[in-house]
Amino acid sequence: MLGTEFEKAVDEIVARYPEPKAAMLPVLWEVQRAKGWIDGASEDWVAQRLGVSSSHVHGVVTFYTMYKRNPSGKYHIQVCTTLSCMLRGCDELVGHLEKRFKIKIGETTPDGKFSLMRVECLGSCGTAPMFQLNDDYHENLTLDKVDKLLDNLP
Amino acid sequence: MEKILTRNIHRESSQSIEVYESNGGYQALRKALGSLSPDQVTEQVKKSGLRGRGGAGFPTGLKWSFMPKEKSKPHYLLVNADESEPGTFKDRLLMEEDPHLVIEGSMLSAYAMHADACYIYIRGEFVHGTRQMQKAIAEAYQKGYAGKNILGSSWNCELVLHVGAGAYICGEETALMSSLEGNRGWPRVKPPFPAQFGVWGCPTTINNVETLACVPFIIERGAEWFAAIGNDEKNSGPKLYCLSGHVKRPGVYEAAMGLPLLDLINEFGGGMLHDDRPLKACIPGGSSVPVLTAAECDVNLDFDSLAKVGSALGSAGIMVMDSSTCMVKALLRIAHFYAHESCGQCTPCRQGCGWLEDILDRIEHGKGRAEDIDLLKSIADNIEGNTICALGEAAAWPVQSFVKRFRPEFENHVTEGRCVVAAPA
Amino acid sequence: MPKLTIDGEELEVPSGTTILQAALGRGQEIPHYCYHPGLSVAGNCRMCLVEVEKAPKLVIACSVPVTDGMVVNTDNERVKEAQAAVQEFLLINHPLDCPICDQAGECRLQDYAFSHSTGKSRFVEEKLKLNKAVDIGHHVTLDQERCIQCSRCIRFCDEVTKTGELAFFERGNQAQIGIHPGKRLNNPYSGNVVDICPVGALTLKEFRFETRIWYLENTPSVCAGCARGCNVMVSVGNKQKEMTSPGQFDDRIKRLVPRVNHAVNGHWMCDEGRLSYQRLDAAPRLLSAQAPQGALIEWEQAIVTGAAQIKQAAQSGRAAAILSPRLTCETMFAWKDLFDELGGVRFGIERIASGEDDDLLLRADKGANSTGASWILGERADAEAIVDAAISGKIDTLIMVADPLDPEDTRRLPENLLLKVKNVIYVGPFLDQTAESASLLIPAAAWAAEDGTMVNFEGRVQLVRRCHMPRGEGRPGWRVVEDLREAAGLESRGWTSSADVLESLAKNVTPFGGITEERVGLLGATGVAAAAAGS
Repeated sequence: MLGTEFEKAVDEIVARYPEPKAAMLPVLWEVQRAKGWIDGASEDWVAQRLGVSSSHVHGVVTFYTMYKRNPSGKYHIQVCTTLSCMLRGCDELVGHLEKRFKIKIGETTPDGKFSLMRVECLGSCGTAPMFQLNDDYHENLTLDKVDKLLDNLP
Repeated sequence: MEKILTRNIHRESSQSIEVYESNGGYQALRKALGSLSPDQVTEQVKKSGLRGRGGAGFPTGLKWSFMPKEKSKPHYLLVNADESEPGTFKDRLLMEEDPHLVIEGSMLSAYAMHADACYIYIRGEFVHGTRQMQKAIAEAYQKGYAGKNILGSSWNCELVLHVGAGAYICGEETALMSSLEGNRGWPRVKPPFPAQFGVWGCPTTINNVETLACVPFIIERGAEWFAAIGNDEKNSGPKLYCLSGHVKRPGVYEAAMGLPLLDLINEFGGGMLHDDRPLKACIPGGSSVPVLTAAECDVNLDFDSLAKVGSALGSAGIMVMDSSTCMVKALLRIAHFYAHESCGQCTPCRQGCGWLEDILDRIEHGKGRAEDIDLLKSIADNIEGNTICALGEAAAWPVQSFVKRFRPEFENHVTEGRCVVAAPA
Repeated sequence: MPKLTIDGEELEVPSGTTILQAALGRGQEIPHYCYHPGLSVAGNCRMCLVEVEKAPKLVIACSVPVTDGMVVNTDNERVKEAQAAVQEFLLINHPLDCPICDQAGECRLQDYAFSHSTGKSRFVEEKLKLNKAVDIGHHVTLDQERCIQCSRCIRFCDEVTKTGELAFFERGNQAQIGIHPGKRLNNPYSGNVVDICPVGALTLKEFRFETRIWYLENTPSVCAGCARGCNVMVSVGNKQKEMTSPGQFDDRIKRLVPRVNHAVNGHWMCDEGRLSYQRLDAAPRLLSAQAPQGALIEWEQAIVTGAAQIKQAAQSGRAAAILSPRLTCETMFAWKDLFDELGGVRFGIERIASGEDDDLLLRADKGANSTGASWILGERADAEAIVDAAISGKIDTLIMVADPLDPEDTRRLPENLLLKVKNVIYVGPFLDQTAESASLLIPAAAWAAEDGTMVNFEGRVQLVRRCHMPRGEGRPGWRVVEDLREAAGLESRGWTSSADVLESLAKNVTPFGGITEERVGLLGATGVAAAAAGS
């Protein structure tokens, strides 16, 4: 589906487990890495490959928050808003970002560059407030730091 | 107390196997494979008094002894690196800065469990931690610390990193197993228990990262040494405390088990964030455990001391709230967390968590009714004890404890129709 | 065998029995939703929480095995509170659909709301909005809002049909049953999910808004769709003053649902069988005896004419009959008995087959009483041989004893046959093409309009019951034969009921030895075993 390299990678992953179905989460990550998100056809492929129904795969994809069911912005900003971050000003941070991008939490900018998401505790409570931008954590944020960071993104 | 768990953290290239080995790393694993039987390793851990650092505080040696004596199926050790309890960030520190400690602890424990494979379930958001662990695992394989014939012995044990995808509930043992098997992260009805029927129907032990990180030290320096750290042998060993919220220096601090909470805040944490905003409340063990009022904070941070005052050490996520904190808003934020993270499998949690959030949302935004406060308690009481897993209690306890200890604030929101805690500019 | 004390009473149960099974086994209801005896234990509804002495928390009865000396309370304050709590939680987001929901009257949520809740709602928030009336398959409609997430339907598709169409999507209180976008719930057993859904989340399209279940009269019977003979409950609309168009009757079959029989169909039935009653409407009914061109004649006249035609043809060895493999044993026996006495009658059994046997219930042989036919009429005389003989001009009188369920399964007689056969006598319930090509039409009862037995492919004798009166002048097949017998000048057998015929069967046909209606009962009996037992 996504080429022989991809299928080889999947084979390697499946070999790590006593049952193919256990490769579900890592294989879905591979799909998302390759395509940017997980669509119905990919779910069908994964289902076939791992010996389960497509509905089962869709059930997994919709259970875990990190699997994307639609393409998201180039820069996916996930702001932690759980208690410790709330105590250190994450609500203000969210407001600032919504104002800067003129979008609300859960939306993507019209040019497709930025999406803004509210997430739960990222395990960074000691360096709050913070957000995860694609793979990377950005901690101990101030509004200035945030603006500088975002201004300098390619 | 000397640095034990965090001894490597600030070394240059602390993640590399060279640095780890040059500072005594993997000696414990060598010792165990060379001169101890798996049961002897378990005995040491039992004697040490080590208790689980994931949240439940269950005696680790005892948990290990539940595995079958006769081996008829593959055995598995699962490392719970799904750290998602709000207020907790200690496992992340170990994995990012000293991954080999985690690996050595895991392999030692796998040896004690007669495990054929060890899967480390790391939360999907820990991308940096995943990279460090992947590198370290490859290094460990190279040096013969994992895989076939470990350190020249006849023991084979694969070490696999398995990355999660965003679900707090997967930190629950049986949900972790469901997720590892390729399903939605749904906890399982117990019995059967993992040691009898775990992943893929095989005997399984699941341990927290920090718990396993203690094991090399127990083997190297002895159970008695470990048991002597702390105020009493039921609450022993070095402990990583996660301090966050309204303090000057939030972060992970290592100290002997039983550190006084006020010492953590004032000595380690530099005291309250703003000198003119005194301590109001503190959650000592991650958001799932009952909150303490300022007056109740004169307590030692260990399992039994906190249990005595009606709270718990849990995951040692100490969240400090000062006088500017609106307790209703704080509870609403916590309730939102549980509603969002509820897996949806069983009735009380699935319906109850959302209901609690809805009511708290109304109270916070001035639409609360007088009967809502007792209703909150009733709903929480109806969830507690009636669910498949402890997320039910985790959602119920904050509601019960906040309402009990800060009731006037909730009542004021209702009568005033707005938040009455002045949040300074 | 562990001993259990439940609500003060001592009970001994086989090792491995759960508390719930122990209670249900002695006729005691512990309320529950997600448990189903045909599926794995889920333990997610939490309705069956009970108190076990010495246990700190309440436990779910469905998953906890009884241990020796266990003391269980299912009825005290603590348990009642928990039940009321669970019931309240289930209702907070449940839509107030009762007035438009098919499940009303057989809904567990309704039942337990009466028996196990406070009767008051404390919920003043906005209920969750999900998708309603979702078309997910040929026969099934889904209402996500009504769903209580018990997972029975998912477990059915995973464990019984092993097709996995249904799954939970999303999580928390957004968790909803769904099917992969673009896929359909079209396995051959999809209707069973409607049976097991404890609420109206999954409903059968063919029954949607059809009637209220309290207007139904239910009769236990057996499906005539194939040789499995799944046990069913036939629901007939009755007590309803519904104005229907002329010629129709208000006691019509509204639905079939499976009855549990572990020797035949377990808890399930296939969709084909479930909807087999619809075939009864595939052609208009034959209401009165007729001659060609729709000329109505008196019953007496038809019988006399028919008897004469049969007798005369038999005398010169030129009589024949083709019988449906769906006739009751009683009807088949009556015809055989007549043919034997007359002599000179060839007879053959129609074969109805399609598809293949599957791993579950479906049989390729659609003749529900094929085995009865071979026991009674001898090793499968073939309908084809009769047809050939007729086309070759060897037959003067051909009796078509028609399929009582499906007019399509009575063969159409080709022109070249009709030209060679002087008399074609149709005995059956339909005025279909076969009937219209006949020279004499005698109405007989359709399936579910007469009592009788059928033998499934495993040799199990089962009772088919009359669920409503035959239409018009139709009467049970064996009674038609009795009348013909008399008119032919032969001695009447004196049968007044199907049970009488069965008695004769038991005396005269070896595999039926020892079989009586009582012995057959609701779950059937194996004839040979009965004979061996020596009734």
